[in-house]
Amino acid sequence: MRRAAVGVAVVMAMLLGALAPATWAQETVKVGLIQPLSGPVAASGNYVRMGAEIGRDWINGRGGVLGRQVQLLIEDNKSDPKEAATAAEKLIVRDKVPVIVGAWGSSMTLAAMPKLEEYGVPMVVETSSAATVTKRGNPWVFRISPPSEMEAVGLEKYLKDLGIKQADFLAVNTDWGRGSVTAFGDLLKKSGATVGAVEFMEQAATDMNAQITKVKAGSADTLFLTTSVEQITLVLKQAQEQRLVRKVITTGGSSSPSQLIKQAGAAAEGTLHILFFLPWFPEAMPDGKLAKAFVDEWNKRGHPFEGLTEGFRGHDGVLTAVEAIRLAGKAEPKAVRDAMWQVSVMGVNGPIKFEKDGPAGKESGQSKPSIFIVQIKDGKIALPSFAAKK
Amino acid sequence: MRRAAAARGALVLAVAASAPFWVWNPYHLHTLIMAGIFAVLALSLNLLLGYTGQLSLGHAAFFGIGAYASALLTVKLEWSAWIGLLAAVLIPALAGWGIGRLALKLRGAYFVLLTISFAGVVSLVSVNWMDLTNGPLGIPGVPALAVALPGLPELSLRSKAAFFYVVLVAVVAAYTLCRRLIASRIGRALVALRENETLAQSVGIDGTHYLVVAAVISAGMAGAAGGLYAHYTRFVSPEVFLFTYTVTMVIMVVAGGKGTLSGPVVGAVIFTVLPETLREFTSWQWQMLLYGVLLIATLFFMPRGIVPAVRDRWRRA
Amino acid sequence: MDQLLQHLLNGLLLGSTYSLLGIGLTLVFGLMNVVNFAHGEFYTLGAYAAFAVLVGLSVNFFLAIPLAIAGGALAGALCEWLLLRPLRGASIDTTMLVMIGLWIALQNGELLAWGGVAKSVPTPFSTTPLALGPVSVSTLRVFVFVTSIFLIVGAHLLLARTRLGRAMRATFQDRETAALMGVSIERIHTVTFALGAGLAAAAGALLGPVFLLYPSMGDLASQKAFSVVILGGLGNFVGAAIGGVLLGVAEELGAGYVSSGYRDAVGFVIIVAMLLVRPSGFFARAERVG
Repeated sequence: MRRAAVGVAVVMAMLLGALAPATWAQETVKVGLIQPLSGPVAASGNYVRMGAEIGRDWINGRGGVLGRQVQLLIEDNKSDPKEAATAAEKLIVRDKVPVIVGAWGSSMTLAAMPKLEEYGVPMVVETSSAATVTKRGNPWVFRISPPSEMEAVGLEKYLKDLGIKQADFLAVNTDWGRGSVTAFGDLLKKSGATVGAVEFMEQAATDMNAQITKVKAGSADTLFLTTSVEQITLVLKQAQEQRLVRKVITTGGSSSPSQLIKQAGAAAEGTLHILFFLPWFPEAMPDGKLAKAFVDEWNKRGHPFEGLTEGFRGHDGVLTAVEAIRLAGKAEPKAVRDAMWQVSVMGVNGPIKFEKDGPAGKESGQSKPSIFIVQIKDGKIALPSFAAKK
Repeated sequence: MRRAAAARGALVLAVAASAPFWVWNPYHLHTLIMAGIFAVLALSLNLLLGYTGQLSLGHAAFFGIGAYASALLTVKLEWSAWIGLLAAVLIPALAGWGIGRLALKLRGAYFVLLTISFAGVVSLVSVNWMDLTNGPLGIPGVPALAVALPGLPELSLRSKAAFFYVVLVAVVAAYTLCRRLIASRIGRALVALRENETLAQSVGIDGTHYLVVAAVISAGMAGAAGGLYAHYTRFVSPEVFLFTYTVTMVIMVVAGGKGTLSGPVVGAVIFTVLPETLREFTSWQWQMLLYGVLLIATLFFMPRGIVPAVRDRWRRA
Repeated sequence: MDQLLQHLLNGLLLGSTYSLLGIGLTLVFGLMNVVNFAHGEFYTLGAYAAFAVLVGLSVNFFLAIPLAIAGGALAGALCEWLLLRPLRGASIDTTMLVMIGLWIALQNGELLAWGGVAKSVPTPFSTTPLALGPVSVSTLRVFVFVTSIFLIVGAHLLLARTRLGRAMRATFQDRETAALMGVSIERIHTVTFALGAGLAAAAGALLGPVFLLYPSMGDLASQKAFSVVILGGLGNFVGAAIGGVLLGVAEELGAGYVSSGYRDAVGFVIIVAMLLVRPSGFFARAERVG
């Protein structure tokens, strides 16, 4: 009899202990942030977090929102969809956030989405590129990053200059990689080029020599590469070892070309990259002053320069979320969601304004971000000749 | 003695059953539901590890197969979720039978590696066989459980409180099943095999046959947990096959007390609540580091597990 | 034909790294009967240690590697003394769980200390690859291959020819008799674990520059190490060495000719086949596996 009572007491003590409320936060407006802060893509998640923190500090420096300071509640989804869903639940239920920014990877975002609908809380999707995120009919999702299809459209105007006749694909085996292969494959076929080999690599794989050997045996002139910067580095280095000569185009915006130059060196020479932010030429962004200020603040904080190509996503995510709160007039989830449709702000990437996307009656919001392409020439980032702006 | 044990059990059950009424925070209820699902998983692993002495490090595969089976049947074929759950038990049980038969004479480390390899292959299939499993995109929109009695409106079991009771029933069912099994002839044969296989075989107990029986029941139970998971989180992706789930299960069984019946349940509750508690009190950088340290400390002070240690302390007191 | 040759070469190089990972684990798992889930973490430690002395202390590359090995061995000895020795009589599951706890703690400790961003290790080798006819290989990889062979042969000689090696083999064959013959059992346990950890650290220090350094790099290494150990036979050193190469070549050919997505499946399928046909490993004498 006693043993059961003791057992129950222990369990209750743990539960009550975990119930410890965070009381001081009453005076702040809370925004949740879910990112992969550990695991294979921890670097990217941390860059987004750093950008989000800059966004928060700037907003608070300008007086916050609704007369209160913004508090960023950060959760790690450990690159695991189950953790992403749990983190969303915790932020919504325990911390009562009116809006979330997250969750980086498409699987993680998709796993958190049912929670958004269950509790009625909106989320700003800052990185995920799977089409399903906005096509599932979840009216609480607002995406500021481009889906792969939009990225492909962004490349369309350069296709003639690139002169691609046949392209191979090497992508990470996730919905992002696979979605990208489909989107760009369709684009190529539409313009008369052909698709060669389509190879995949596991997210944690480090040896891609087999795939590279296969690509080398083919006759394509271009290789599309979709994965995170760590794997891109490994692929480029291994391609160099095998003396693979191809035009390489990376997609997805997570290629961090500065890091590639540092870690892949000469192997990265000549490669092209589709990005959504140009930290080397901030003046070329739609709002040059804002972009430059962001780059300067980033450097001032001592964050690695390579992280800028992803860090801006955190800033724009938080900016969007807070703007919606401001327009709603209160930090209440449904009001914030309704206000999202009126958001029209200038982020580091460019103008953010949502259009309806997905099945009628349950549309999600999708913005149309700016898309750029750069090239690594002589160990430095340059705008390719056909894309040079004045 | 028997009556005291029954009374204890009834008290624990009563407290658990009343939980949705005094656990205010839905997030905590969520944690308890996950603890329940893991309790079923831990009980299933305990059948193999605690009672036959064989370690399966591929149990996440049965969990995942159950989850996918139920998800696919309910999403693609639009069958009832209850049939999905049934499939979630039967299909992994079939796989368990296969493993048991394949293992034949394998024991110890070799059995462990067979299970790891099996899990690895299943995981890769789930990621690569796009037509069947939708690959990395996973299967979203798995329907929630609902009770449709003729003449009455459909009662959706989507709410947390409702699902908590479903899981509670599952835990009780799993616990009872294990208990009856252990007390039966099969259970005695398993224990005999665990203690000394050669001796057991000399009195006519066929090691392989009983190992297969244990594997089938164990796999079926793990699959049931997977089915519950699928209808609760309503999104299934290849990450269910992650090795960390297997590791977590093993932690729950061994640290809870393998070879006991309440050990895995206690382990499941503690090691589900613990990371969440750590999440509250520490920043994300320290959460898992502390978890690892606490795990080591637990084993140092209670090498046979928490439940046996508490029992010993009680006996001495 | 060229493609096949390149695949074979890739497989050989990859396989030699698997061998290095496997021989350390076969000592600990096969001889000490400890399911060392933290093996991959010693691999990671070795890589980060080499990085630290190379970049932090500007030590010569060829000196950084032995330093990293020594560091790994030391860490291994410490872990054995602190964690395994007090649990000497405990069941294999308890020690396995302690190793799991160590794995979690170490990996997250590394994440805390170094951050999640991958690091690259500078090497003194040129990046232009060597052209051997139709195939290509980088100078760094050749160096890693040659060093691995040295380490494997060296460890083998240690086990087979030295007094220490004999004492190790004796202890794990028959503890009581070895003790009666004057072998210090406690010391042998510590030395064996340290040797296993040191070999893992060597693999990390050598492979770190080939790939990249990040806190979870040890997980894949652990997985491959366990596969190699089974292929070669528990406790069978030579078996692990050859098994590693076989696994590497099989994976490479599988990825090249069957499907890159199912690459790791090749390893698993081989293991399952092995376990069904010849469970004691390719190279062990027939032994009881049940």
